[in-house]
Amino acid sequence: MLLVADSVGLVADPPSDQAEPTAAAERAAEARDRVHFEEEALEHADQLYRIALRLSGSQQTAEELVQETYLRAFRGWRGYRPGSNLAAWLATILRNVFLDEARKQSRRPAQESFEDTSEYYLYNHLSEAGAEPQEAVLNRLSGGAIAESLGDIPPMFREVVVLVDIGDFSYQDAADILGIPIGTVMSRLHRGRRALKQALASRASEDAS
Amino acid sequence: MSLDPCLGVESQLQPYLDRQLTPGEVSMIEQHLGTCAYCRERYHFEAKLRDTVKTVCCGDPVPEGLVERVRLHCRGQGAA
Repeated sequence: MLLVADSVGLVADPPSDQAEPTAAAERAAEARDRVHFEEEALEHADQLYRIALRLSGSQQTAEELVQETYLRAFRGWRGYRPGSNLAAWLATILRNVFLDEARKQSRRPAQESFEDTSEYYLYNHLSEAGAEPQEAVLNRLSGGAIAESLGDIPPMFREVVVLVDIGDFSYQDAADILGIPIGTVMSRLHRGRRALKQALASRASEDAS
Repeated sequence: MSLDPCLGVESQLQPYLDRQLTPGEVSMIEQHLGTCAYCRERYHFEAKLRDTVKTVCCGDPVPEGLVERVRLHCRGQGAA
C-alpha cells in the first residue's frame, strides 16, 4: 500500500528539490488519515459482529465475516467518503462478504417463496395455543430462538430485517447497503417480518409440545 | 385507511411503528387505538415483539478481544 502511494506521489510531484519533503509530508498525512480511519472503523466492530451473527447464524462464521470485512475496508479505505455514514459503508462490505461466502458454499440466496400470513399471525397463534398471556411468551424469547427463527427466513428477506430491526439502519441506509430501491426494502421488510413471526410461532409450538 | 378501521390499523401498524406515516395518518391510528381494545392489545404485542427482538439481539455478547483479533488479522494480511 505504502509503496504504491510512494511511487504515485513521486510521479505526480514536479522534479524539484521540494519534491522529496512534500511527498514525505503527504505520505505522513495519508498514514495519519489511515490510522484515524482504522480506529474510527473499528468502533463499529460490535455492531457489525451482531449483524454478521444474525445473517450467518454462527459465532465462528460471524467473526470470520467481520475479519474479512475489515480486511477489505482497510484495503479500500480510500473508497470511503469522509463524513458519510461509516457504519453503512462497512455494512455494505459485510453484506458483500456474506454473499461471496454464501456463493462459495453454493448456498446461493434464492428467491424462495413462502406463504404470506396475517399481520397478527404470531399473536393469534399464541392466543390459540395457551393459557398464558401472549406477552409473557415474548419475555421468554431467547437470543437462540430468534437466531434460529431468522435462519428459517429466506436470506433476501432476512438481510433486510437484520439491517433495519437489529442493525437500526434506516430504510434509505438499507436500500444503499443492499443496492435496491427503497420500495423493495419496504416490501421485503414487510414479508420478512411476517416470515419471522411465522417462524417464531412454529418454534413456540415445538417448545410447547 | 380502509373502510373497516380495524383492518386499516392492521395494514398500517408496521409503518406506524417505523414512524413512516404522515401526521394525519398517525392521528387517525392513535384515535382508533384509543377507543378499540382489540387493536390496542395487538398493537402492544407488535410493539413489544419489535422491542424484544432488538433488545435480545443487541445484547448478544461480542467475543472478547474481537477488535484486537481483527487488527492483528488485517496487519498479518498487509492491509493495515
